Amino acid sequence: MTNNEQTFTRPVTTASGNPIEVRGLHKSFGKNEVLTGIDLTVANGEVVAVIGPSGSGKSTLLRCLNRLEEVTSGEVLILGENIATAKGKSLDAVRQRVGMVFQHFNLFPHMTALENVALAPVELKMLSKAEARKRGIELLTRVGLAEKADARPASLSGGQKQRVAIARALAMSPGIMLFDEATSALDPEMVGEVLQVIRDLAASGMTMVLVTHEMGFAREVADRVVFMADGKVVESGPPAEIFDSPKEPRTQDFLSKVL
Amino acid sequence: MTLLRHPANWWRENRLPLLASLTTLLILLFTVGGAVGIANAATKPAAADDGVKGKTFTIATDTTWAPFEFQRDGELRGIDIDLIKAVAEDQGFDVKVDVLGFDGALAAVTAGQADAVMAGMSITKERQKTFDFSNPYFDSGIQMAVGKNDAAIKGYEDLKDKTVSAKTGTEGYTFAENLGKQYGFTVTGFQDAADAYNDVTTGNSAAVFDDYPILAYGIATGNVDLKTVTPQEKASSYGMGVKKGANEALRKAFNEGLKNLIADGTYQKILDDYLGENAPKAAAIGEGKAALGNDKLDPGKPGELPKNPGFATDTAQTHGEFTIATDTTFAPFIYQLDGKNVGIDMDLMRAIAANQGFKVDIKPLGFDAALAAVSAGQADGVIAGMSITDERKLAFDFSNPYFQSGVQMAVAKDSDITSYKDLKDKKVAVKTGTVGYDFAKELGKKIGFKVNAFQDSADMYNDVATGNSAATFEDAPVLQFGISSGNVPLKIVTDPEPGADYGFAVLKGKNAELLKMFNDGLQNAKDTGVYQQIVDRYLAIDDEGATSDNSFLALLKTSIGPLSQGLLLTLLATALSILFAMVLGILFGILKLSTNPFLRFLASAYVNIFRGTPVLVQAFFFYFGVPAVTGQPLDALTAGVITLSLNAGAYITEIVRGGVQSVDPGQMEASRSLGLGWGASMRRVVMPQAFKIMTPNLINQFIITLKDTSLLSVLGFAELTYQGRIVIASTFRSFEIWIIVGAMYFIVIWLLTVLSNWVDRKFNK
Repeated sequence: MTNNEQTFTRPVTTASGNPIEVRGLHKSFGKNEVLTGIDLTVANGEVVAVIGPSGSGKSTLLRCLNRLEEVTSGEVLILGENIATAKGKSLDAVRQRVGMVFQHFNLFPHMTALENVALAPVELKMLSKAEARKRGIELLTRVGLAEKADARPASLSGGQKQRVAIARALAMSPGIMLFDEATSALDPEMVGEVLQVIRDLAASGMTMVLVTHEMGFAREVADRVVFMADGKVVESGPPAEIFDSPKEPRTQDFLSKVL
Repeated sequence: MTLLRHPANWWRENRLPLLASLTTLLILLFTVGGAVGIANAATKPAAADDGVKGKTFTIATDTTWAPFEFQRDGELRGIDIDLIKAVAEDQGFDVKVDVLGFDGALAAVTAGQADAVMAGMSITKERQKTFDFSNPYFDSGIQMAVGKNDAAIKGYEDLKDKTVSAKTGTEGYTFAENLGKQYGFTVTGFQDAADAYNDVTTGNSAAVFDDYPILAYGIATGNVDLKTVTPQEKASSYGMGVKKGANEALRKAFNEGLKNLIADGTYQKILDDYLGENAPKAAAIGEGKAALGNDKLDPGKPGELPKNPGFATDTAQTHGEFTIATDTTFAPFIYQLDGKNVGIDMDLMRAIAANQGFKVDIKPLGFDAALAAVSAGQADGVIAGMSITDERKLAFDFSNPYFQSGVQMAVAKDSDITSYKDLKDKKVAVKTGTVGYDFAKELGKKIGFKVNAFQDSADMYNDVATGNSAATFEDAPVLQFGISSGNVPLKIVTDPEPGADYGFAVLKGKNAELLKMFNDGLQNAKDTGVYQQIVDRYLAIDDEGATSDNSFLALLKTSIGPLSQGLLLTLLATALSILFAMVLGILFGILKLSTNPFLRFLASAYVNIFRGTPVLVQAFFFYFGVPAVTGQPLDALTAGVITLSLNAGAYITEIVRGGVQSVDPGQMEASRSLGLGWGASMRRVVMPQAFKIMTPNLINQFIITLKDTSLLSVLGFAELTYQGRIVIASTFRSFEIWIIVGAMYFIVIWLLTVLSNWVDRKFNK
């Protein structure tokens, strides 16, 4: 992390000092309960990888962390704010400090790469247009795409798109980054370049929650691995513990299939 | 997307074929237009004069014009309907009555889709270019009506800067239009009499002009909340019209049938049924012409007693002898021909004397001397083209007027001047000291033309014939006599201004019996057509020689002005409507996407109401309905723009909703996850993408709205379609005019499409 980055990042201020604290989170879609009481704490600078079978609720959990999904019950304390009940401006304020990277990139197709990155700082009046542009170039340089600043998303490869999306998520200097299967939609040869960017980010001390199918990468980059099944956290611990000696049969069963 | 009313990118895919079809249309327009023009200019072949017995004729009529035609208990009734059925029965043919509306009825006959119009249709010179008329079957006239409680408008001069209504294509419309130029008001035309009346009730228009029996019947039956305030004007007669040169047999059969029905009292009974005590005498209709059938009255020679079966000239001369003083020369009323005193006044006086059974001794003394002779008791009466004035009434007792005079305008035969306003910045020739001179002076100030005064009539006429002056103003009978006698090489282009009436006079308090006999004889002469016979001797102008330019280009030249004005209003209404519709559409489109169920319901209700009812109904509602409740009149443009904005807004709401919904929800999520609010996300991220998707549908909706403005013509909004109808009402050239109007719409829509696509390419890369 550069010096500039340091000054831009705002300090995390919660009572416990943990940027993410989830307590008793329930989430239902109609009658279908997909999260059945989740408790999860992520410490400052910690990188947590969430793994689990399809339909286990791991993406829903991640989306609840910046309330892209409404919370049915429970508390979701993000940087000290319970976003389960936050409204309007205070919700937007929390979201500004939580970067999100989507499986399908969700770049704005009518804007260039640089405009994608600079949109939020300018629109939210954090930076002037010129400053936002400068910062956008810095971030694009950081993900290795400075030369694509004026390209529209349609002309970029999948890997390039996802790197622009990461730069965009970093534009507001978030304290937390959320990755929702960031490499699942990529061709295999593009996965590496995106993982490298995430790896660098982890190394810079960013608090991160990753939902991923890349087990090798989870083992390498995560401080802690959370295994979810059927809307519950089944087991969590350091990667070596989870991957090498899982305690729960459900975990063992899953890992035996994917490893 | 279900909202597409045209496939997306319609224009791009069809650009070449569209250009090709535009070119083809234009070529077609000019070739067909030209061909029709030539066909129109050519003389029509006379139809074979075969009988009518056993045949079925299609008679086109108006929708509602009580008491001439109207629906009651699901049955079509009225004087027109009863009469044509009675004539058909009398003459042994069948009729099928098609209710097409007035304009529609005329168009159907000119197009050959119906055999005759029977729709309270006034016999006018203009229409006689396109129609052959039967004998008149009803004598009418125009009257002005205002709101029942309107105390402000008592005469034409109170109409200044106001708007009046009239039914398109009627005599009332033409009359109001001409009157409007004089008094400074504008006329709004409606397709339906009820709408024209309603426009006054709602306060949009200050007054309505219509034929007096229609107004009188409507008011008497309590259906019309108006009152008449002026006397009946500009008498005209109704006739059955057939297409010029066609259906001569039907026309003749109608005349014959009408004659029989008048003779046996059937027609009188029909008139009495509908008009009660106001019913006119059937035998006197059309100055007795109706009762004559196809028999022609010979006008006879100047100085002769008229020959007319209904007018006795051999009454026993038991009422004494009277000395009648007159002017020496005042053609066409008094002048000498082969040593004999002739002229309208002379022939009429002698005819009345012969009819009423008294002898006359005519003494041409000169005008002033004639008056003096009567005052001194040396003559019993005076007839000398003498205007009835209040001043003269102090000294004389006047008969009923026997001649309506008034100033009329004449122009060179090849001139294209048709109305007063064409005279702007031109010169006008008049004779010093005449009423024409005074009238031209006054009018010149208003219109802006220069008045050249001449001492001599011949010089004055010459100045116009050579093109030095654009027009001349002179007393109608003087002008008409000059032209009909071939002395004045001009043509008359306006109706006589309401002016002085001529009367026969006796010394005040004396010769009451003579005065009564004159009045009775005059009435007989008018009722039987004798009066017209005598007038025709002097004033009948042979119209046959008059040729008009019927070519397509001439039509285009005369019609393009009003049509362009119409197009401007069409564009104005379209632009305003689209602007407001976009605002409404975006607003309600977003409400429709709201999470708040009440707001969603509000938006859905709006869309359902305006998408679920016809635009025309909405237009009527805002123009007639709303002001009727609020008492606050809305002008046609405002009501029209409200209607089209709300209507197009409903469709745009759905386009916006569909456009927004077709944007990947991930876009909103990505924007929100950056901390942008919902509004900022909509504005910066979703809407720009949605608009790109919406563009083809929006262009489509703009085009529909532009075309929908044509519906506002029923509100009397003078847009392109309205102007087309007005032009057709006077030219009857529906085929060519609708092609021109269609081409104008097509070109404008084509340009709009090109523009929209350019904008689309420019901003939606």
